Amino acid sequence: MGRATLLLLSVAVAGSVRLQPIDGARAAVDPLTAPPGAKAIVYLFTSTDCPISNRYAPEVRRLAQQYGPRGIVFRLVYPGRADSDAAIRTHLAEYLYRGVAEPFRDASLAFANLAGARITPEAVVIAQGRVVYRGRIDDRYADVGVDRTAATTHDLADALDAVVAGRAVPHPVTHAVGCYIADLAR
Amino acid sequence: MTRASVAALSLLAILPVGSRFSGAGGDGASKGAPYRTANVDYQRDIAPLLNDRCAMCHHPGGAAPFSLLTYEDARRHARQIASVTRSRTMPPWKVDPSDGPFIGQHPLSSRELDLIEQWVEAGAPDGDGRAPAPRAPVALPDDWQLGKPDLVVTPKEAFTLQADGADVFRIFVVPVPVGTERFVRGLEFRPGNARVVHHANIRIDRTSASRAADDADPLPGYSGLILRSAEYPDGHFLGWTPGQVAPLVPEDLSWRLPPGTDLVVEVHMQPSGRPEQVQPSIGLYFGERPPTRTPVMLRLGRQTIDIPAGQPRYTITDSYVLPVDVEVQALQPHAHYRLRTARGAATLPDGTRKPLLSIADWDFRWQHVYRYATPLALPKGTTLSMEYVYDNSPENPRNPEHPPKRARWGQRSSDEMGDLWIQVLTRNRQDLATLDTSFRRKVVAEDVNGYETEIERHPEDVGLRDTAAMLYLELGRPLDAARHFQVSSWAQPGSAAAHYNLGTALSLARRLDEAMREYGRALAIDPNYAHAHNNLGNVLLAIGRADDAIKEFSEVVRLQPASPSALANLAAAYAAAKDFDRAVEAADAALRLKPAEPLATTLKQQRDRYRQRRSSQD
Repeated sequence: MGRATLLLLSVAVAGSVRLQPIDGARAAVDPLTAPPGAKAIVYLFTSTDCPISNRYAPEVRRLAQQYGPRGIVFRLVYPGRADSDAAIRTHLAEYLYRGVAEPFRDASLAFANLAGARITPEAVVIAQGRVVYRGRIDDRYADVGVDRTAATTHDLADALDAVVAGRAVPHPVTHAVGCYIADLAR
Repeated sequence: MTRASVAALSLLAILPVGSRFSGAGGDGASKGAPYRTANVDYQRDIAPLLNDRCAMCHHPGGAAPFSLLTYEDARRHARQIASVTRSRTMPPWKVDPSDGPFIGQHPLSSRELDLIEQWVEAGAPDGDGRAPAPRAPVALPDDWQLGKPDLVVTPKEAFTLQADGADVFRIFVVPVPVGTERFVRGLEFRPGNARVVHHANIRIDRTSASRAADDADPLPGYSGLILRSAEYPDGHFLGWTPGQVAPLVPEDLSWRLPPGTDLVVEVHMQPSGRPEQVQPSIGLYFGERPPTRTPVMLRLGRQTIDIPAGQPRYTITDSYVLPVDVEVQALQPHAHYRLRTARGAATLPDGTRKPLLSIADWDFRWQHVYRYATPLALPKGTTLSMEYVYDNSPENPRNPEHPPKRARWGQRSSDEMGDLWIQVLTRNRQDLATLDTSFRRKVVAEDVNGYETEIERHPEDVGLRDTAAMLYLELGRPLDAARHFQVSSWAQPGSAAAHYNLGTALSLARRLDEAMREYGRALAIDPNYAHAHNNLGNVLLAIGRADDAIKEFSEVVRLQPASPSALANLAAAYAAAKDFDRAVEAADAALRLKPAEPLATTLKQQRDRYRQRRSSQD
């Protein structure tokens, strides 16, 4: 009995999560539903002042250019309310995210909690309404303050290759390194 | 009674071990019950810590990526603060908290780390408003922390750092426009773009060599190595890491800045994800009087580093015994990416061992200069020592090569280095001279190893070979010098100087036939080469060909008529040929030129001897 109730509850929470686009007056979207024609959605949790997250901007652009034509949609998620809309718009312009990934705000952290994201930068890949990958973009950072000259494994790209090919993602969860999402913010 | 005092002693012995990880503050609370778990708040507990230990960088416009001055700032970054303080990534202070005490040391005690964690656990509460948080007196971004500089210099143009890729090292050569010699008490480096500038090495170049390297690169600054002509001025450290400002030194400890000197500023930058403009500036602070004391920069370390690919534990050690009493002013460890642990120690003549510094998790990016709050006095006979351990395995995430490659000594960041710089003051000028002479020998013996490695990489670089050969001559190793001068002369068969250099090294190695051949080649190219005539004359004299020696020394006198030593040599050659009339004549001519001591005295003795021999001949 209790088990069935819990399952129902979880579905209800998931169905109620919405992401608010930063630009314009468009309606909030259901983050688990891919736009028509898309195979999967990549959400990149980011923040305006996390240097590790910002350092990945060129890599995010490369991935979006590489996988966009293969049916993967890229979206940015600014968790919480700490970043003002104006700060986010400046951030999008400075790091050349416009036209690369559509920006959203997850004001209540409902989506971060649903997806299990705790870090910026952290990637969440949704395919067929499910989280199929959550974690780092690659292994460039071993820890805060410990980074490699170049990444040796490219976990997000590997996951996307699997999704495009219709295979299971080899490592569905990896450890993201960066800045904690401000989950204590009001 | 006895038993009780033993117990008390062992308790005392244990306490410092605990305090190794707790820093300056008392640490009793963390040993007992948790500290105010239910009741930690920002205003009373957290704000004072952040203001005191973090705000010097974490303020608007500061060196850190975000500010931590307000409650909103702190709450937003609360979990991050707890995580990076617990791992001791922040505040950045790589040496063991028990070392020192050093200026600017501000570690968090374990009680303070607990407080931060408890505050985060409690949901990062602000507090009841009854105890407003004190605000740190944080310098505004436009302020110089040492006050208004006497002179500010900056590269003419900003350097554009690309958005992406590996770390960039750029060397800016900045002229210092002073009309007369100035006495520098300190300088303050401002990164110009704190987002990407991670540290700066600063040297001075009294030659134009660095400027030429900058001019040859079309963009601002140049990429490559800091040249050997760019050095620390008179035993002073110059450099910058975020959060560190070296205090001004007293006037009597300033360093001389002659007109025409350039500052050589190597800036280590990390791309930020977007293109960045970088234009650092340096404020200089001058004193009124010339220095009366000069520090000595000692250097322990190895230039023989050669770490096999994959080697997880490679150790270098070095030591040096102080020939005089000193006071240690400051320490700076230096290495590149593969170093894991660094230790320096002083062993006193009575066997007492004093740790200087210990770094358990080396990070290339936090190369502080550790300045003693009170200088550390070490007596003559103290052994300074260092031990550095490197990890060139793939398990070291900081390894710049993947898969790992053999790493040898070298200045490029893909090579490795391992130095511990120790800045000391002596009691007086005489001790300074003793230390300089003794240490110079030690450091030159190590430097030639570095030159050999560089020469292996660039066997065609005759400049490297000539410098190495000069150092070998200084070390009394003329055969090693001849080995490099030989290659230089092969590479430059038309250079009289190259043959002369080789001849000189061969003379010192007592390879006289070969030396004469090289002097002959030098003189065939340049018949007016006085030094070559002179050295050839000395060789001829040594092998008993006095008449030939006279011809060579006569040439030297013809070419350098005002040189008393040329005449002295000629006198000696005449004497060897038993022509004492001419020997006395030449010695008299030399004395008329009023030579300096000790040549004057030697000449008089020589002349008297020649006169005696002349009379006994008659």
